Amino acid sequence: MEQLILASGACDPAADIICKPENVNELFEFTHPLFSIGPFDFTRTVFLTFLAMVIVLAFLYFGLRKTRVVPSRFGVLVESAVGFVRDDIAKGVIGPEGGRYVPYLLAMFLFLLVANLFEVTPGINFPITSRMAIPVFLSLLTWVIFVVVGFFKNGFRYVLDIIWPKSVPIGLRWLVGIIELVSTFLLRPLTLAVRLFANMVAGHLMLTLLLVSGWVFMSSVGDIGARSIIGLPWFVFGLGIYLFEIVVAVLQAYIFTLLSAVYIQSSVHPEH
Amino acid sequence: MTPEAADALKGAIALVGYGLAAVGPGIGIGIVVGNAIQAMARQPEMAGQSRTTMFLGIAFTEALALIGFVLFFIA
Repeated sequence: MEQLILASGACDPAADIICKPENVNELFEFTHPLFSIGPFDFTRTVFLTFLAMVIVLAFLYFGLRKTRVVPSRFGVLVESAVGFVRDDIAKGVIGPEGGRYVPYLLAMFLFLLVANLFEVTPGINFPITSRMAIPVFLSLLTWVIFVVVGFFKNGFRYVLDIIWPKSVPIGLRWLVGIIELVSTFLLRPLTLAVRLFANMVAGHLMLTLLLVSGWVFMSSVGDIGARSIIGLPWFVFGLGIYLFEIVVAVLQAYIFTLLSAVYIQSSVHPEH
Repeated sequence: MTPEAADALKGAIALVGYGLAAVGPGIGIGIVVGNAIQAMARQPEMAGQSRTTMFLGIAFTEALALIGFVLFFIA
């Protein structure tokens, strides 16, 4: 919001038809670090990343510290989250071997859930996954895991089966092989990261534009009089989008984890 | 054409390109979700599995729109 006001102050509404920043990412940068350690700036985004880590650790620690036969209400919440990732995502997609990947998938799901829900948390209102570094790092982690698992389980045949698929007519094998090679090793991590990033950027921009413009119109009632009523529909529409964004935040965390599991599954059982 | 006008035109063309890239996946996601709803209505006991498969189908179909989004940023 601070960046939006700065950006809107930099342009001349009389001369420019569209007032927009050079790049959307400028709106998501915090240029004033809280403090710096050497060349590393400790900005609000970094602080929120550590906060998300602490929240996930506390959630799991306090939920699973004392496991009882009849767990407390909070314990039920934590156990259902763990059970959802273990049974529905890991074992449901990967199969019986999926148990080995539960820690990774659970950590990723909970971290992304907290990071995405920062978007709709009052007082924070900033999804840290809208900074490209975090989705890219997580998707590269998934990439490394599924490539290493593929080589570990199948040896060099893992790549051979991708570039020379046996189930395809021989005349088309080279074409399907090229497409599969590009899609497996290049497009998978790219789309995995960009999907999360794009959803969070679009959601944050929509929320900020609608709620801020509505608020600015309604709060300047003294200057523009009855015309400030135009801000009310914006604000109401923004609140509707707010509810929608809660769904999007949870769904994107789920889809990121689900696709990671599917990619790992395609390395564990390459013939499917 | 002045360089500024060329720059502005480039941004506008990138926007149109993203719009075109979003058409195909939009139709594809519609087909995926529609068929998933049909499957869930016909066999409610398989609804959980249909839903998971639907999300996967959406995710794969979305890829083209996401590539268009990246190109929009790069252009």
